[in-house]
Amino acid sequence: MSDKKSILIINQSAPYGSSKARESLDVALTCSIFDMPVSLLFIGDGLFQLIKGQSPELLDMKKHEAMLTALPMYDIEQIFVTEDDLKTNGLTEQDLALSVNVVSRDMISSLIQNHDSVMTF
Amino acid sequence: MKFSLVVHASPFSEQASSTAYRYAKCLLSQGHEIYRVFYYGDGVMVANSQIAPPQDEANLPKLWTELANEHSLDLVVCIAAAVKRGVLDQNEAKRYEKDAANLADGFELSGLGQLAEAIAISDRVVTFGG
Amino acid sequence: MSIEFDEEGFLRNLSDWSETVAEEIAQSEGICLNDSHWEVIMVIREFYQTFQLSPAMRPLVKAVANKLGKDKGKSIYLLKLFPGSPAKLVAKIAGLPKPDNCL
Repeated sequence: MSDKKSILIINQSAPYGSSKARESLDVALTCSIFDMPVSLLFIGDGLFQLIKGQSPELLDMKKHEAMLTALPMYDIEQIFVTEDDLKTNGLTEQDLALSVNVVSRDMISSLIQNHDSVMTF
Repeated sequence: MKFSLVVHASPFSEQASSTAYRYAKCLLSQGHEIYRVFYYGDGVMVANSQIAPPQDEANLPKLWTELANEHSLDLVVCIAAAVKRGVLDQNEAKRYEKDAANLADGFELSGLGQLAEAIAISDRVVTFGG
Repeated sequence: MSIEFDEEGFLRNLSDWSETVAEEIAQSEGICLNDSHWEVIMVIREFYQTFQLSPAMRPLVKAVANKLGKDKGKSIYLLKLFPGSPAKLVAKIAGLPKPDNCL
């Protein structure tokens, strides 16, 4: 176990409707630079951040999907989505731009419990 | 206990910004320590000294400045979020070739590393808005 | 047509970047670009094109290790080529956006 505080970042916002997704990513990258173990959970509309084939150039915005694929370069590999959210949105793991851990909704509470700090975006 | 507050909420369109201020006051009055207040996203707009609310409404930048002076608080404004919203100190105004600085007294522009450090050091991190 | 730089020597328009411009920026930083510099510059440009992010030091080191081999994927190697803060300096020479000072 690391003596650094671990952080769980819960993402519940869609990628382009607000600046939340980008703000969350910046916090994740920064915490990783400071050697804090970072886990990311995508729930509800947050799942849409992970979808493959985004075309935000139509909105004149930066591609969130591209930035998320940099996470492994920052040693952020603990990425969680729930089975229920995939099912609700008619998605499978193959629709996502990153490899993720699929967990059941019940697991969220233990994820929260297993981290020292939690932030929500 | 050692607290840090993270303020995401915009000062006038969301109540959470003023809730953060009242929460900070309450913590201090109960003898807790505030390690840092970190303003992020739209929360940074509260550090704009040019805010001129009506006389019968709260002037949040001024209230924070007073609280910071009284208790030597560390009020850190995310520099990237601030600069894109036009909240600049002298350095950044010069760096981005803008006419004027408008960061209110008692606030300081700095990076997200200050948030990571606050999370690492504080017993509790409480988020407002977002 | 002259190329405009801001007060800190960053390109005003990123699309003005060319290899000649890179050499000019490097020179103003006291660096004379050789092949070793160039391969790192190309790695950071590719990083930016792929991820739309300017890398911090650790991911830059990782990207250099992936592309150019483990011997070069070390901070000491990058520090020698780009003294001071390599991630910032390479980004500047490679014509990436001005860092937002967030770290």
